[in-house]
Amino acid sequence: MNRGGFEFSFAWLFAIIVGVVIIFLAIYFTTSLIGNSRYEADTKIAAQLETILNPVETGLEEGKLIIIGFPSETRIYNDCNEFGDFGDQAISTSTKSGIGDKWQEPGAKIKSKSKYIFSEKVVQGQEAYVFVKPFEMPYKVADMVMIYSQDYCFVKPFDDIKEEVEDLNLPGINISFNIDDCPEGSKKVCFVFDNDECDVKVGQTNVQEAYYEDSLVYGAIFSSPDIYECQLKRLMKRDAELALLYASKAEFLVGKGCSTGLAGELVNYASSLEDFGGSRELPSVKLKSDDIGRENELLKCKLF
Amino acid sequence: MNYSNVNYSRGQVKIQQMAFVLVAIMIFFAIVVLFYLSIRVNLLKGDVEILRNEEAKEVVRKLAGRPELSWTVTDCASCIDLDKALVLNHRESYEDFWEVPFLQIERVYPDGEGECTKGNYPDCRTITLVDEGIYIAHSAFVALCRHDELMGDKCELGKIYLGFRSVG
Repeated sequence: MNRGGFEFSFAWLFAIIVGVVIIFLAIYFTTSLIGNSRYEADTKIAAQLETILNPVETGLEEGKLIIIGFPSETRIYNDCNEFGDFGDQAISTSTKSGIGDKWQEPGAKIKSKSKYIFSEKVVQGQEAYVFVKPFEMPYKVADMVMIYSQDYCFVKPFDDIKEEVEDLNLPGINISFNIDDCPEGSKKVCFVFDNDECDVKVGQTNVQEAYYEDSLVYGAIFSSPDIYECQLKRLMKRDAELALLYASKAEFLVGKGCSTGLAGELVNYASSLEDFGGSRELPSVKLKSDDIGRENELLKCKLF
Repeated sequence: MNYSNVNYSRGQVKIQQMAFVLVAIMIFFAIVVLFYLSIRVNLLKGDVEILRNEEAKEVVRKLAGRPELSWTVTDCASCIDLDKALVLNHRESYEDFWEVPFLQIERVYPDGEGECTKGNYPDCRTITLVDEGIYIAHSAFVALCRHDELMGDKCELGKIYLGFRSVG
Protein backbone atom coordinates (compact mmCIF):
# COMPACT_ATOMS: atom_id res chain seq x y z
CA MET A 1 0.00 0.00 0.00
CA ASN A 2 1.40 3.37 -1.00
CA ARG A 3 1.28 5.72 1.92
CA GLY A 4 2.71 8.90 0.26
CA GLY A 5 0.59 11.32 2.30
CA PHE A 6 1.91 13.46 5.19
CA GLU A 7 0.15 13.12 8.50
CA PHE A 8 -0.44 16.51 10.12
CA SER A 9 -1.86 15.89 13.52
CA PHE A 10 -3.78 18.39 15.61
CA ALA A 11 -0.93 18.55 18.14
CA TRP A 12 1.48 19.85 15.49
CA LEU A 13 -1.02 22.39 14.24
CA PHE A 14 -1.71 23.64 17.75
CA ALA A 15 2.01 23.88 18.53
CA ILE A 16 2.71 25.91 15.38
CA ILE A 17 -0.16 28.32 15.99
CA VAL A 18 0.76 28.86 19.62
CA GLY A 19 4.43 29.30 18.68
CA VAL A 20 3.62 31.98 16.11
CA VAL A 21 1.40 33.84 18.59
CA ILE A 22 4.10 33.71 21.29
CA ILE A 23 6.79 34.93 18.88
CA PHE A 24 4.53 37.74 17.66
CA LEU A 25 3.75 38.87 21.21
CA ALA A 26 7.43 38.68 22.16
CA ILE A 27 8.46 40.85 19.21
CA TYR A 28 5.63 43.30 19.88
CA PHE A 29 6.48 43.79 23.56
CA THR A 30 10.19 43.94 22.82
CA THR A 31 9.78 46.69 20.22
CA SER A 32 7.39 48.52 22.53
CA LEU A 33 9.94 48.29 25.36
CA ILE A 34 12.70 49.45 23.04
CA GLY A 35 10.50 52.38 22.01
CA ASN A 36 9.97 53.40 25.65
CA SER A 37 13.64 52.90 26.38
CA ARG A 38 14.55 55.11 23.44
CA TYR A 39 12.21 57.84 24.72
CA GLU A 40 13.90 57.60 28.12
CA ALA A 41 17.38 57.58 26.57
CA ASP A 42 16.56 60.55 24.31
CA THR A 43 15.28 62.51 27.31
CA LYS A 44 18.50 61.72 29.22
CA ILE A 45 20.59 62.92 26.26
CA ALA A 46 18.65 66.20 26.13
CA ALA A 47 19.15 66.66 29.89
CA GLN A 48 22.88 65.91 29.58
CA LEU A 49 23.14 68.34 26.66
CA GLU A 50 21.47 71.03 28.76
CA THR A 51 23.92 70.32 31.59
CA ILE A 52 26.93 70.41 29.24
CA LEU A 53 25.82 73.84 28.02
CA ASN A 54 25.88 75.25 31.59
CA PRO A 55 29.61 75.81 32.05
CA VAL A 56 29.99 76.86 28.42
CA GLU A 57 28.98 80.45 29.22
CA THR A 58 31.64 83.07 28.55
CA GLY A 59 33.25 85.04 31.34
CA LEU A 60 35.83 87.45 29.99
CA GLU A 61 36.20 85.58 26.69
CA GLU A 62 34.97 87.07 23.43
CA GLY A 63 34.05 83.71 22.05
CA LYS A 64 34.23 80.03 22.85
CA LEU A 65 33.94 76.78 20.96
CA ILE A 66 33.11 73.29 22.17
CA ILE A 67 32.47 70.14 20.20
CA ILE A 68 29.85 67.70 21.46
CA GLY A 69 30.02 64.10 20.29
CA PHE A 70 27.10 61.70 20.48
CA PRO A 71 27.32 57.89 20.58
CA SER A 72 25.15 57.69 17.48
CA GLU A 73 23.62 60.09 14.98
CA THR A 74 21.33 62.42 16.90
CA ARG A 75 18.77 65.07 16.11
CA ILE A 76 18.60 68.12 18.39
CA TYR A 77 15.24 69.89 18.30
CA ASN A 78 15.34 73.56 19.22
CA ASP A 79 12.13 75.14 20.43
CA CYS A 80 11.77 78.74 21.54
CA ASN A 81 8.92 80.33 23.47
CA GLU A 82 8.90 84.12 23.88
CA PHE A 83 6.00 84.39 26.34
CA GLY A 84 6.53 85.33 29.99
CA ASP A 85 9.10 87.54 31.69
CA PHE A 86 12.03 85.77 30.04
CA GLY A 87 10.45 83.25 27.65
CA ASP A 88 12.11 79.86 27.61
CA GLN A 89 14.32 77.61 25.60
CA ALA A 90 13.41 73.97 25.10
CA ILE A 91 15.65 71.30 23.63
CA SER A 92 14.82 67.68 22.94
CA THR A 93 16.70 64.95 21.16
CA SER A 94 16.08 61.87 19.10
CA THR A 95 18.65 59.20 18.24
CA LYS A 96 18.89 57.07 15.13
CA SER A 97 18.22 53.38 15.64
CA GLY A 98 18.34 50.26 13.58
CA ILE A 99 15.40 48.72 15.44
CA GLY A 100 11.88 49.94 14.84
CA ASP A 101 11.49 53.43 13.33
CA LYS A 102 14.78 54.96 12.17
CA TRP A 103 13.89 58.25 13.85
CA GLN A 104 11.17 58.25 16.46
CA GLU A 105 9.51 61.23 18.15
CA PRO A 106 11.97 63.20 20.33
CA GLY A 107 12.18 62.66 24.08
CA ALA A 108 10.80 65.07 26.65
CA LYS A 109 11.71 68.75 26.27
CA ILE A 110 14.24 70.17 28.68
CA LYS A 111 13.48 73.82 29.36
CA SER A 112 15.67 76.70 30.46
CA LYS A 113 15.00 80.40 30.98
CA SER A 114 18.60 81.52 30.83
CA LYS A 115 19.85 79.87 27.63
CA TYR A 116 19.57 81.33 24.14
CA ILE A 117 20.32 78.74 21.49
CA PHE A 118 20.50 79.91 17.91
CA SER A 119 20.29 77.01 15.50
CA GLU A 120 18.11 75.46 12.85
CA LYS A 121 14.93 73.93 14.25
CA VAL A 122 16.53 70.49 13.85
CA VAL A 123 20.28 69.93 14.00
CA GLN A 124 21.33 66.46 12.94
CA GLY A 125 24.68 64.75 13.18
CA GLN A 126 27.00 62.63 15.26
CA GLU A 127 28.87 65.77 16.27
CA ALA A 128 27.47 69.16 17.15
CA TYR A 129 29.62 72.30 17.16
CA VAL A 130 28.75 74.85 19.83
CA PHE A 131 29.99 78.39 19.34
CA VAL A 132 29.30 80.86 22.16
CA LYS A 133 29.40 84.65 21.92
CA PRO A 134 28.41 87.19 24.57
CA PHE A 135 25.60 89.58 23.66
CA GLU A 136 26.00 93.11 24.99
CA MET A 137 23.55 95.96 24.66
CA PRO A 138 25.18 98.00 26.22
CA TYR A 139 26.01 95.70 29.19
CA LYS A 140 26.29 91.96 28.90
CA VAL A 141 22.80 90.52 28.57
CA ALA A 142 23.45 86.84 28.00
CA ASP A 143 25.46 84.38 25.97
CA MET A 144 24.33 83.45 22.50
CA VAL A 145 24.88 79.75 21.89
CA MET A 146 25.10 78.81 18.22
CA ILE A 147 24.78 75.11 17.45
CA TYR A 148 25.45 73.70 14.02
CA SER A 149 26.52 70.39 12.55
CA GLN A 150 26.67 70.90 8.83
CA ASP A 151 29.46 72.45 6.75
CA TYR A 152 29.38 76.13 5.91
CA CYS A 153 31.22 78.13 3.28
CA PHE A 154 31.65 81.83 4.06
CA VAL A 155 32.17 83.65 0.79
CA LYS A 156 34.01 87.00 1.09
CA PRO A 157 33.26 87.37 4.82
CA PHE A 158 33.75 90.64 6.68
CA ASP A 159 37.23 91.03 8.19
CA ASP A 160 36.09 90.68 11.81
CA ILE A 161 34.09 87.53 11.04
CA LYS A 162 37.00 86.06 9.08
CA GLU A 163 39.33 86.80 11.98
CA GLU A 164 36.97 85.24 14.52
CA VAL A 165 36.47 82.08 12.46
CA GLU A 166 40.22 81.69 12.04
CA ASP A 167 41.09 82.50 15.66
CA LEU A 168 38.60 80.00 17.06
CA ASN A 169 39.29 77.56 14.24
CA LEU A 170 35.55 76.94 13.92
CA PRO A 171 35.12 73.44 12.51
CA GLY A 172 33.07 72.92 9.39
CA ILE A 173 33.43 76.54 8.23
CA ASN A 174 35.42 77.20 5.07
CA ILE A 175 36.38 80.69 4.00
CA SER A 176 36.42 81.31 0.30
CA PHE A 177 36.64 84.30 -2.02
CA ASN A 178 34.87 82.55 -4.83
CA ILE A 179 31.60 80.72 -4.50
CA ASP A 180 32.75 78.07 -6.97
CA ASP A 181 35.56 77.07 -4.57
CA CYS A 182 33.10 76.10 -1.84
CA PRO A 183 33.09 72.40 -0.90
CA GLU A 184 30.19 70.43 -2.29
CA GLY A 185 27.29 70.03 0.11
CA SER A 186 28.27 73.02 2.24
CA LYS A 187 25.84 75.83 2.99
CA LYS A 188 27.02 78.91 1.10
CA VAL A 189 26.88 82.15 3.09
CA CYS A 190 27.54 85.16 0.88
CA PHE A 191 28.59 88.46 2.40
CA VAL A 192 27.47 91.64 0.60
CA PHE A 193 27.18 90.15 -2.83
CA ASP A 194 24.45 88.38 -4.67
CA ASN A 195 24.54 85.08 -6.45
CA ASP A 196 21.81 82.55 -7.17
CA GLU A 197 23.87 79.82 -5.56
CA CYS A 198 23.97 81.58 -2.19
CA ASP A 199 21.98 79.81 0.53
CA VAL A 200 22.28 82.72 2.98
CA LYS A 201 22.88 86.36 2.02
CA VAL A 202 24.44 88.62 4.64
CA GLY A 203 24.15 92.39 4.23
CA GLN A 204 25.68 95.19 6.28
CA THR A 205 22.69 95.28 8.61
CA ASN A 206 20.65 92.19 7.83
CA VAL A 207 20.79 88.52 7.00
CA GLN A 208 18.00 88.22 4.47
CA GLU A 209 14.87 89.30 6.42
CA ALA A 210 16.54 89.32 9.82
CA TYR A 211 18.30 92.48 11.05
CA TYR A 212 21.33 92.21 13.27
CA GLU A 213 23.79 94.24 15.31
CA ASP A 214 27.29 93.14 16.32
CA SER A 215 27.46 89.48 17.42
CA LEU A 216 23.83 88.84 16.46
CA VAL A 217 25.11 88.27 12.91
CA TYR A 218 26.19 84.78 13.97
CA GLY A 219 22.75 84.05 15.39
CA ALA A 220 21.19 85.21 12.13
CA ILE A 221 23.55 83.04 10.03
CA PHE A 222 23.30 79.82 12.02
CA SER A 223 19.63 79.80 12.95
CA SER A 224 16.34 79.68 11.14
CA PRO A 225 14.49 83.04 10.90
CA ASP A 226 11.77 81.97 13.39
CA ILE A 227 14.26 80.87 16.01
CA TYR A 228 16.34 84.03 15.49
CA GLU A 229 13.39 86.38 15.96
CA CYS A 230 12.12 84.45 19.00
CA GLN A 231 15.51 84.34 20.71
CA LEU A 232 16.07 88.01 19.91
CA LYS A 233 12.79 88.93 21.60
CA ARG A 234 13.82 86.83 24.63
CA LEU A 235 17.17 88.62 24.72
CA MET A 236 15.41 91.99 24.65
CA LYS A 237 13.19 90.92 27.57
CA ARG A 238 16.28 89.98 29.56
CA ASP A 239 17.87 93.28 28.51
CA ALA A 240 14.80 95.13 29.82
CA GLU A 241 14.93 93.34 33.20
CA LEU A 242 18.63 94.09 33.50
CA ALA A 243 17.97 97.74 32.64
CA LEU A 244 15.46 97.90 35.51
CA LEU A 245 17.97 96.19 37.78
CA TYR A 246 20.67 98.73 36.89
CA ALA A 247 18.13 101.53 37.40
CA SER A 248 17.43 100.19 40.91
CA LYS A 249 21.16 99.97 41.56
CA ALA A 250 21.58 103.59 40.34
CA GLU A 251 18.84 104.78 42.74
CA PHE A 252 20.38 102.78 45.60
CA LEU A 253 23.86 104.20 44.98
CA VAL A 254 22.61 107.80 45.21
CA GLY A 255 22.51 107.28 48.98
CA LYS A 256 26.09 105.93 48.85
CA GLY A 257 27.55 109.04 47.34
CA CYS A 258 27.38 107.83 43.74
CA SER A 259 24.99 109.82 41.60
CA THR A 260 24.88 108.44 38.05
CA GLY A 261 21.78 110.18 36.69
CA LEU A 262 21.11 107.11 34.58
CA ALA A 263 18.13 105.71 36.46
CA GLY A 264 15.52 107.56 34.38
CA GLU A 265 17.19 106.71 31.08
CA LEU A 266 17.47 103.05 32.01
CA VAL A 267 13.77 102.90 32.92
CA ASN A 268 12.89 104.48 29.54
CA TYR A 269 15.23 102.05 27.81
CA ALA A 270 13.50 99.14 29.57
CA SER A 271 10.07 100.44 28.48
CA SER A 272 11.18 100.64 24.86
CA LEU A 273 12.51 97.06 25.05
CA GLU A 274 9.28 95.73 26.50
CA ASP A 275 7.49 96.74 23.29
CA PHE A 276 10.19 95.21 21.09
CA GLY A 277 8.45 93.88 17.99
CA GLY A 278 11.26 92.24 16.03
CA SER A 279 14.70 92.62 14.54
CA ARG A 280 13.62 95.60 12.40
CA GLU A 281 13.60 97.69 15.61
CA LEU A 282 17.18 96.77 16.45
CA PRO A 283 18.82 99.88 14.96
CA SER A 284 16.76 102.23 17.19
CA VAL A 285 17.43 100.04 20.26
CA LYS A 286 21.13 100.05 19.44
CA LEU A 287 21.17 103.86 19.29
CA LYS A 288 19.60 104.14 22.77
CA SER A 289 21.91 101.48 24.18
CA ASP A 290 24.99 103.21 22.76
CA ASP A 291 23.90 106.50 24.39
CA ILE A 292 23.57 104.79 27.78
CA GLY A 293 26.91 103.03 27.30
CA ARG A 294 28.67 106.29 26.47
CA GLU A 295 27.18 108.05 29.50
CA ASN A 296 28.20 105.19 31.77
CA GLU A 297 31.79 105.38 30.50
CA LEU A 298 31.98 109.03 31.54
CA LEU A 299 30.87 108.30 35.12
CA LYS A 300 33.28 108.32 38.03
CA CYS A 301 31.38 105.43 39.64
CA LYS A 302 30.23 103.28 36.78
CA LEU A 303 27.11 101.19 36.90
CA PHE A 304 28.45 98.48 34.59
CA MET B 1 31.03 -8.29 36.77
CA ASN B 2 34.08 -8.63 34.51
CA TYR B 3 37.41 -6.71 34.44
CA SER B 4 36.37 -4.24 31.70
CA ASN B 5 33.25 -3.14 33.59
CA VAL B 6 35.32 -2.38 36.70
CA ASN B 7 37.68 -0.21 34.62
CA TYR B 8 34.81 1.71 33.09
CA SER B 9 33.38 2.38 36.56
CA ARG B 10 36.72 3.64 37.85
CA GLY B 11 37.10 5.82 34.78
CA GLN B 12 33.71 7.36 35.28
CA VAL B 13 34.47 8.12 38.90
CA LYS B 14 37.69 9.83 37.84
CA ILE B 15 35.84 11.88 35.27
CA GLN B 16 33.30 12.95 37.86
CA GLN B 17 36.04 13.91 40.27
CA MET B 18 37.74 16.00 37.60
CA ALA B 19 34.42 17.68 36.78
CA PHE B 20 33.89 18.67 40.43
CA VAL B 21 37.43 19.99 40.67
CA LEU B 22 36.94 22.08 37.52
CA VAL B 23 33.68 23.47 38.84
CA ALA B 24 35.32 24.36 42.14
CA ILE B 25 38.18 26.12 40.35
CA MET B 26 35.73 28.07 38.20
CA ILE B 27 33.78 29.16 41.29
CA PHE B 28 37.01 30.17 42.99
CA PHE B 29 38.12 32.33 40.08
CA ALA B 30 34.65 33.82 39.79
CA ILE B 31 34.82 34.87 43.45
CA VAL B 32 38.26 36.39 42.89
CA VAL B 33 37.03 38.36 39.86
CA LEU B 34 33.94 39.58 41.74
CA PHE B 35 36.11 40.72 44.63
CA TYR B 36 38.44 42.59 42.26
CA LEU B 37 35.56 44.21 40.36
CA SER B 38 33.87 45.37 43.54
CA ILE B 39 37.07 47.09 44.66
CA ARG B 40 37.51 48.73 41.23
CA VAL B 41 33.90 49.91 41.14
CA ASN B 42 34.23 51.44 44.61
CA LEU B 43 37.37 53.29 43.53
CA LEU B 44 35.53 54.44 40.41
CA LYS B 45 32.60 55.67 42.52
CA GLY B 46 35.06 57.71 44.53
CA ASP B 47 36.52 59.20 41.33
CA VAL B 48 33.05 59.93 39.95
CA GLU B 49 32.09 61.66 43.20
CA ILE B 50 35.22 63.84 43.03
CA LEU B 51 34.52 64.70 39.38
CA ARG B 52 30.88 65.53 40.18
CA ASN B 53 31.95 67.82 43.00
CA GLU B 54 34.45 69.58 40.73
CA GLU B 55 31.80 69.95 38.05
CA ALA B 56 29.33 71.32 40.59
CA LYS B 57 31.92 73.84 41.81
CA GLU B 58 32.52 74.92 38.22
CA VAL B 59 28.78 75.42 37.71
CA VAL B 60 28.68 77.47 40.93
CA ARG B 61 31.57 79.64 39.72
CA LYS B 62 29.88 80.11 36.36
CA LEU B 63 26.72 81.29 38.11
CA ALA B 64 28.73 84.17 39.52
CA GLY B 65 29.29 85.22 35.90
CA ARG B 66 25.57 85.71 35.21
CA PRO B 67 24.84 89.31 34.16
CA GLU B 68 22.46 89.71 37.14
CA LEU B 69 25.25 88.99 39.61
CA SER B 70 28.56 89.68 37.92
CA TRP B 71 30.72 92.70 38.64
CA THR B 72 31.33 94.26 35.24
CA VAL B 73 32.82 97.63 36.24
CA THR B 74 36.24 96.04 35.95
CA ASP B 75 37.31 92.80 34.27
CA CYS B 76 36.92 90.15 36.94
CA ALA B 77 35.83 86.60 36.24
CA SER B 78 34.71 85.49 39.71
CA CYS B 79 33.51 88.79 41.09
CA ILE B 80 29.96 89.39 42.24
CA ASP B 81 28.36 92.82 42.29
CA LEU B 82 26.98 92.91 45.81
CA ASP B 83 24.99 96.11 45.16
CA LYS B 84 23.18 94.41 42.27
CA ALA B 85 22.58 91.27 44.35
CA LEU B 86 20.98 93.37 47.10
CA VAL B 87 18.55 95.13 44.77
CA LEU B 88 17.94 91.84 42.89
CA ASN B 89 16.58 90.19 46.03
CA HIS B 90 12.79 89.83 46.13
CA ARG B 91 12.30 91.08 42.55
CA GLU B 92 9.10 89.43 41.35
CA SER B 93 10.26 88.88 37.79
CA TYR B 94 13.23 86.82 39.02
CA GLU B 95 11.20 84.49 41.25
CA ASP B 96 11.39 81.46 38.93
CA PHE B 97 14.43 82.53 36.98
CA TRP B 98 17.26 80.74 38.75
CA GLU B 99 15.85 77.20 38.40
CA VAL B 100 17.73 76.08 41.52
CA PRO B 101 16.34 75.36 45.01
CA PHE B 102 19.00 77.37 46.86
CA LEU B 103 21.15 80.36 45.97
CA GLN B 104 22.94 82.40 48.59
CA ILE B 105 25.81 84.84 48.71
CA GLU B 106 27.79 85.00 51.95
CA ARG B 107 30.36 87.52 53.05
CA VAL B 108 33.25 85.58 54.58
CA TYR B 109 35.62 88.43 55.49
CA PRO B 110 35.15 90.84 57.08
CA ASP B 111 32.55 89.24 59.36
CA GLY B 112 28.95 90.28 59.38
CA GLU B 113 25.70 89.09 60.93
CA GLY B 114 22.29 88.42 59.52
CA GLU B 115 20.48 88.67 56.24
CA CYS B 116 21.23 91.81 54.23
CA THR B 117 18.61 94.51 53.89
CA LYS B 118 18.92 98.10 52.66
CA GLY B 119 19.00 99.10 56.35
CA ASN B 120 21.99 97.03 57.52
CA TYR B 121 23.93 96.80 54.23
CA PRO B 122 26.91 96.33 53.96
CA ASP B 123 27.39 95.27 57.61
CA CYS B 124 25.56 91.99 57.10
CA ARG B 125 26.41 88.43 56.24
CA THR B 126 24.16 86.82 53.66
CA ILE B 127 21.93 87.60 50.71
CA THR B 128 19.61 84.66 50.07
CA LEU B 129 18.10 84.85 46.61
CA VAL B 130 16.39 81.43 46.59
CA ASP B 131 15.67 78.98 49.40
CA GLU B 132 13.12 76.27 48.78
CA GLY B 133 12.85 72.52 49.03
CA ILE B 134 15.48 69.92 49.78
CA TYR B 135 18.89 70.28 48.19
CA ILE B 136 22.58 69.51 48.39
CA ALA B 137 24.56 72.75 48.46
CA HIS B 138 27.92 73.35 46.83
CA SER B 139 29.94 76.50 47.27
CA ALA B 140 32.76 78.40 45.64
CA PHE B 141 34.86 81.33 46.79
CA VAL B 142 34.21 84.60 45.00
CA ALA B 143 35.06 88.25 45.40
CA LEU B 144 32.17 90.47 46.55
CA CYS B 145 32.55 93.90 45.02
CA ARG B 146 30.54 97.02 45.78
CA HIS B 147 30.74 100.79 45.71
CA ASP B 148 32.03 102.26 48.95
CA GLU B 149 31.44 105.91 49.84
CA LEU B 150 35.01 106.45 51.01
CA MET B 151 37.09 103.96 49.06
CA GLY B 152 35.26 103.85 45.75
CA ASP B 153 35.06 100.28 44.43
CA LYS B 154 35.83 97.77 47.14
CA CYS B 155 36.05 93.98 46.99
CA GLU B 156 35.88 91.52 49.89
CA LEU B 157 36.07 87.76 50.27
CA GLY B 158 32.82 85.86 49.92
CA LYS B 159 31.23 82.57 48.97
CA ILE B 160 28.39 81.70 46.68
CA TYR B 161 26.23 78.70 47.59
CA LEU B 162 24.20 76.84 45.03
CA GLY B 163 21.75 74.09 45.91
CA PHE B 164 21.21 71.08 43.67
CA ARG B 165 18.14 68.91 43.94
CA SER B 166 19.06 65.45 45.25
CA VAL B 167 17.91 62.54 43.11
CA GLY B 168 16.83 59.22 44.65
